[in-house]
Amino acid sequence: MSGHDSKYFSTTKKGEIPELKDELNSQYKDKRKDAVKKVIAAMTVGKDVSSLFTDVVNCMQTENLELKKLVYLYLINYAKSQPDLAILAVNTFVKDSQDPNPLIRALAVRTMGCIRVDKITEYLCDPLQRCLKDDDPYVRKTASICVAKLYDINAELVEDRGFLDALKDLISDNNPMVVANAVAALAEIQENSSRPIFEITSNTLTKLLTALNECTEWGQVFILDALSKYKAADAREAENIVERVTPRLQHANCAVVLSAVKMILLQMELITSTDVVRNLCKKMAPPLVTLLSAEPEIQYVALRNINLIVQRRPTILAHEIKVFFCKYNDPIYVKMEKLEIMIKLASDRNIDQVLLEFKEYATEVDVDFVRKAVRAIGRCAIKLERAAERCISVLLELIKIKVNYVVQEAIIVIKDIFRRYPNTYESIIATLCESLDTLDEPEAKASMIWIIGEYAERIDNADELLESFLESFPEEPALVQLQLLTATVKLFLKKPTEGPQQMIQVVLNNATVETDNPDLRDRAYIYWRLLSTDPEAAKDVVLAEKPVISDDSNQLDPSLLDELLANIATLASVYHKPPDAFVTRVKTAVQRPDDEEYPDGSESGYSDTPANAVDSAAAPSSSSNVTHAATRQAAPAPPAPSAPVPDLLGDLIGLDGAIVPVDQPATPSGPPLPIVLPASTGQGLQICAQLTRRDGQIFYSMLFENNSQIPLDGFMIQFNKNTLGLAAAGPLQVPQLQPGASATTLLPMVSFQNISPGPPSTLLQVAVKNNQQPVWYFNDKISLQVFFAEDGRMERAHFLETWKSLPDSNEIAKDLQSVVINSVDVTIDRLAASNVFFIAKRRNMNQEVLYLSAKAPRGIPFLIELTGVVGIAGVKCAIKTPNPEMAPLFFEAMEALLN
Amino acid sequence: MGILFTRMLSSLFGNKEARILVLGLDNAGKTTILYRLQMGEVVSTIPTIGFNVETVQYNNIKFQVWDLGGQTSIRPYWRCYFPNTQAIIYVVDSSDTDRLVTAKDEFHAILEEEELKGAVVLIYANKQDLPGALDDAAVTEALELHKIKSRQWAIFKTSAIKGEGLFEGLDWLSNTLKSVGG
Repeated sequence: MSGHDSKYFSTTKKGEIPELKDELNSQYKDKRKDAVKKVIAAMTVGKDVSSLFTDVVNCMQTENLELKKLVYLYLINYAKSQPDLAILAVNTFVKDSQDPNPLIRALAVRTMGCIRVDKITEYLCDPLQRCLKDDDPYVRKTASICVAKLYDINAELVEDRGFLDALKDLISDNNPMVVANAVAALAEIQENSSRPIFEITSNTLTKLLTALNECTEWGQVFILDALSKYKAADAREAENIVERVTPRLQHANCAVVLSAVKMILLQMELITSTDVVRNLCKKMAPPLVTLLSAEPEIQYVALRNINLIVQRRPTILAHEIKVFFCKYNDPIYVKMEKLEIMIKLASDRNIDQVLLEFKEYATEVDVDFVRKAVRAIGRCAIKLERAAERCISVLLELIKIKVNYVVQEAIIVIKDIFRRYPNTYESIIATLCESLDTLDEPEAKASMIWIIGEYAERIDNADELLESFLESFPEEPALVQLQLLTATVKLFLKKPTEGPQQMIQVVLNNATVETDNPDLRDRAYIYWRLLSTDPEAAKDVVLAEKPVISDDSNQLDPSLLDELLANIATLASVYHKPPDAFVTRVKTAVQRPDDEEYPDGSESGYSDTPANAVDSAAAPSSSSNVTHAATRQAAPAPPAPSAPVPDLLGDLIGLDGAIVPVDQPATPSGPPLPIVLPASTGQGLQICAQLTRRDGQIFYSMLFENNSQIPLDGFMIQFNKNTLGLAAAGPLQVPQLQPGASATTLLPMVSFQNISPGPPSTLLQVAVKNNQQPVWYFNDKISLQVFFAEDGRMERAHFLETWKSLPDSNEIAKDLQSVVINSVDVTIDRLAASNVFFIAKRRNMNQEVLYLSAKAPRGIPFLIELTGVVGIAGVKCAIKTPNPEMAPLFFEAMEALLN
Repeated sequence: MGILFTRMLSSLFGNKEARILVLGLDNAGKTTILYRLQMGEVVSTIPTIGFNVETVQYNNIKFQVWDLGGQTSIRPYWRCYFPNTQAIIYVVDSSDTDRLVTAKDEFHAILEEEELKGAVVLIYANKQDLPGALDDAAVTEALELHKIKSRQWAIFKTSAIKGEGLFEGLDWLSNTLKSVGG
């Protein structure tokens, strides 16, 4: 291989670009023109011909308009990629902007505006200034648009050079085209500026109104849009403006029509005379109706705008509802919008006709459309009281068709109808219940469950119906779960019989322990606490009379509506969103602080209004989400709701209506709980626990501390068989424990559930498990004192009688060596607090003898004689009881109490 | 024979365009000279950001005259115009003595250009109407014109405002080009 191969890299063939270069530099004009055409052709098919920049620019100074236009086209395309070389074109622009031919002057100034190269913008100011004052209107109007373009590149420059004032002067131009373009440019500049730049005065107003009648249709749109921002001084002026503008309503261009409508609507706000307003409304109807005979796409835009218009001025189209009836071949998006407007226009006068339409739509094939039609019937029922019955009968007819989705939609709206007209139409519940099994959509299910709960007292088998839903509780979506929870609570409060009692336990358990959903859990805990605190209060809250709803779905917030009406005939009015929601602009203006207040109009669904809102008054749902998270972050303290849980269960089981003070602290006061499972044994999990008695109930008071590195959840507890048959009465209520977090709980206990045979023992074997760790076993001591009942007090006579009746073999005594009685009264009080009741005392020498009684589980009495000397350690404890085998346990308990 | 030869030459050149670049520092008077040559009158000018191109018919030669902006920012782009250039008119502001050194440096840089090897050079010592303007000999000295080898050159005292000296220079140019072409 030798150097010969280098020939492959140097070719004698010149290639396209050098060939074009030669041709561009040809001395013959025709050849140069052809070459430029070739270059443009290459450019339009995407070939990079930017390397020919200077050669093309050199062809720029020509008499030939065609060639000049081509070079300008090339410049617009490539100036950005050759910003340095673009400067070579400046002088030609300057010359062309002074050309005798106005077309060339305008062409130059237009192209200059299109070249967005910083380096040359300042050179363009002089030509622009000249062109703004050009004799030819075509040049002036082109120059005014160029100012807006320049403002986008360099706003400061535009202001410094006084172009804004020049633009404002052009509003008074005698040529309407120039006026329209100046208005358009100013409006655009205003949009990008935070300062007020373009404000219409009464002087410019006249100019604009005059120009309006003479300029092109798009010019009219610009002027109308600008006029709609003008605040008329008084009603009179507003009337005058509107009068001048009304002829625009007849324009063939729908943009002109919509802009005129917008302008008139805004000025109408100021007009006080009802006659004038009525007249104007009458005038606006036909043009709006005409818009609906255009192509579907335009129809859609018109419908979206009409939707806004009828919200503000329903009268305009009150008599035109027929034009909104859906045609079979309307595209679905048009049909949906028409339905929306039909609902808005429905009135007592036309409801029969409308219902006929809706009914027909409800039997069409398009599922979405059918659903919307069914909802529409319901919304009409809610809106028009006098027509409600007719609407409901239509709905019932539709339910009879047994088309699944029709039935479900119907049930959803009927729930709302019940909310709107309480105690009026409940007779149809039976019909609804027939379709219970077919419901498979969450919203429909939730609605049906709400109905069952709300009218539980009228539905004989309400509990059965609800129970059928309960089976699948854990699998249901949150929406349904929430309703099931509420409905079950309602049922329980209305029919506090056994069935509902069991149901509510299941539901509360499911909704607290088994769920991850904070809304559901919070609501369940609130119900739980309510029920345990005061069932009557719970009734007042849960079964309170609900406020009557109204149909405000798809209704826009007034301030948003105002903003959208000011933006009719723009994208904002089609999206129903304020412009700044979807247009991002580099604006130095301060953001509107109330932006967040705008609800997303299009998404505020119908379903949000009813049941949820009221029920959440009793059980705050979504808002609690936030606070929950907040508190969790703020303090790793145990969640408060766990405290009253056992109390409620106790209430539910005993139904004794015992009231637990809500503010009772969750953790037992007094000494800290003894550690039963040290962290070293439990892989970082430490458990402290003790049996305790509160309000006649035995609890296992527990403190869980997670010292491991992982979150622990799914805690469960199990007790081994023991002497007194202690067992958990409910599930362990321990939330997920983050590393470093702790939680306390009071586990309700029952006794004599799983009694171990053999001699009495204080041993309590406990097993605790969670989802992350192996099962932990630990031993605790049964303290008999927690079993002492509150009703253990004996009358003296009864005491003596019992004492005597028991054989002496039943008397057992023990010396409690470590016990010191310092004060008899204190001891008596302390014992009484633990349900060991004082009966009598006597003095024997220096010894105090106390007689006391206590009642152990199953009503076993313990008669106690304490003998000791005040201030000296050692107390003799003698007891008589029918169950002497319990004595060791008893002595342990006494020792614990007296210490 | 001699008459016939001249005719042949003139007919040859009459159809031909000569490409001429007008170069020089900013404010030397290039644009004024261009339009004085083209239209015969003085136009008010602004600094040329870019270029002007005009066709000047003189002595049976069609000159395609490119007047390039002389500002520092534009000088680097002069080279885009060098190919196929027959002659350079280098304009010097004779009254701007401070920048004569710069003018000299730019001038010699141009002469170094490979693409301009065959171009003849005409120097206008312009603005002779202004007081304190150097004469042609002084400008020749300042531009170190004697260093030019193997190239035809000439210097003329001009005043674009008054229209003096311009066409004399053009005469020289057309004759030189004819002889070169011959």
